[in-house]
Amino acid sequence: MSEAFAPGDTVRVSAVNPPGHRRTPFYIRGKQGVIERVCGEFANPEELGYGFDGLPKKRLYRVRFRQKDVWPDYKGDPNDTVDVDIYEHWLSPVAKPKSGRKI
Amino acid sequence: MNDEREHHDHHHGHDHAGHAHPPLQPDDTSPPNNYEVTILAIRDLLLDKGILSAEQVRRGLETLDSWEPSRGAEIVARAWVDPAFKKRLLADGNAAVADFAIDMGSAKLTVVENTETVHNVIVCTLCSCYPRPVLGLPPDWYRSKNYRARVVREPRQVLREFGTHIPDDVTVRVHDSLADLRYLVLPRRSAGTEGWSEERLAALVTRDCMVGVANPEKPRAA
Amino acid sequence: MEPDNTKFTSAREPGRGYHDLGGLDGGPIDPAVTQAKPWEKLSVVVGNALGQKGKRLICTDEVRRTREEMGAELYNRLGYFEKGIESLRRLLIEKGVIDAKELERRMGEVARRIEEDGR
Repeated sequence: MSEAFAPGDTVRVSAVNPPGHRRTPFYIRGKQGVIERVCGEFANPEELGYGFDGLPKKRLYRVRFRQKDVWPDYKGDPNDTVDVDIYEHWLSPVAKPKSGRKI
Repeated sequence: MNDEREHHDHHHGHDHAGHAHPPLQPDDTSPPNNYEVTILAIRDLLLDKGILSAEQVRRGLETLDSWEPSRGAEIVARAWVDPAFKKRLLADGNAAVADFAIDMGSAKLTVVENTETVHNVIVCTLCSCYPRPVLGLPPDWYRSKNYRARVVREPRQVLREFGTHIPDDVTVRVHDSLADLRYLVLPRRSAGTEGWSEERLAALVTRDCMVGVANPEKPRAA
Repeated sequence: MEPDNTKFTSAREPGRGYHDLGGLDGGPIDPAVTQAKPWEKLSVVVGNALGQKGKRLICTDEVRRTREEMGAELYNRLGYFEKGIESLRRLLIEKGVIDAKELERRMGEVARRIEEDGR
């Protein structure tokens, strides 16, 4: 398995649209967010959907996105977020900016 | 399976396979929907093949009927009066609700707390995942395409349609529950409820509060 | 006015699935809440029972996957529980648990039973 992420890490969701059963919604693909918590390890739904056992388990993360980073026309408060549970294989690390952005 | 065929009760409707069918809705004489017929036929086939038992189906219906928002409301009321319970609930929802004999199964109950500065709202944009053991079946609007499409992108407008206004100095967090976690909002306790019993507090907590599209009512003047 | 998902794909093709609605334009949300009918509750119970530990004939993700494959037309036309039953039907036939012809026969019997004996 790849190295684990920790809360506070900046990550980017893969910008791919593969066929098949996926639990990463279209609107969040390619977007950048921050790990809010490590949720645990779970069998991979993308495999379970086709009758496989989904093992080995994948790490699941709650990733927090600022709404204004997701929707260019977002009209709410700049602090508003959308939190999405995303599996590790959809996430890549992003180098932290020197100013160290907080959640 | 053979026992069922020998003991079926003639007072109940029964088909040629001899399964005793408790009447589902004797007053409903409308013509059956194609999918109603399908699920009844699937059930019958599965019973015939021994894949399911009538007892399993009966118990399942009973369990489903026990799942309703009042269970979630009891949990919220307990968290309001008991800080230690609230701490356990936020740390491990499944373990905490076991106090109320609630079994979340393989789902991981994750409770998110509304505060002075944060308001939470729940959705499942891909299907309609929902914490059923504590809230029952999801309401029509939660399952609707319009809610699933809009609440992630314009939560404040959606909340306003439900009559809920969130001030600008409160952050709105939308939770899209797409994996094994099932979310429950712990709403803020209404002011003016000091000293209230858990039962009285629970009555203020509606299903809509625990999904996050509403806040608990304020107590009315006596 | 509902989200326009008819141009999106089935799970069998790359792209946004017709079920993947987050962020699409939509209209007012109807707040009316309806009670699940007995056959709708039955569909939930049968699905749960088939997925229970020890049996595991089907799992949640397989049911979701079949919803994502039935096509936008059916997905939009059927109600929530109807989609669940359609998924169950496809999955059980796909896995060889039931046969399409025997299901059709049994459906005929069920329809006749309801007509003769009532629900």
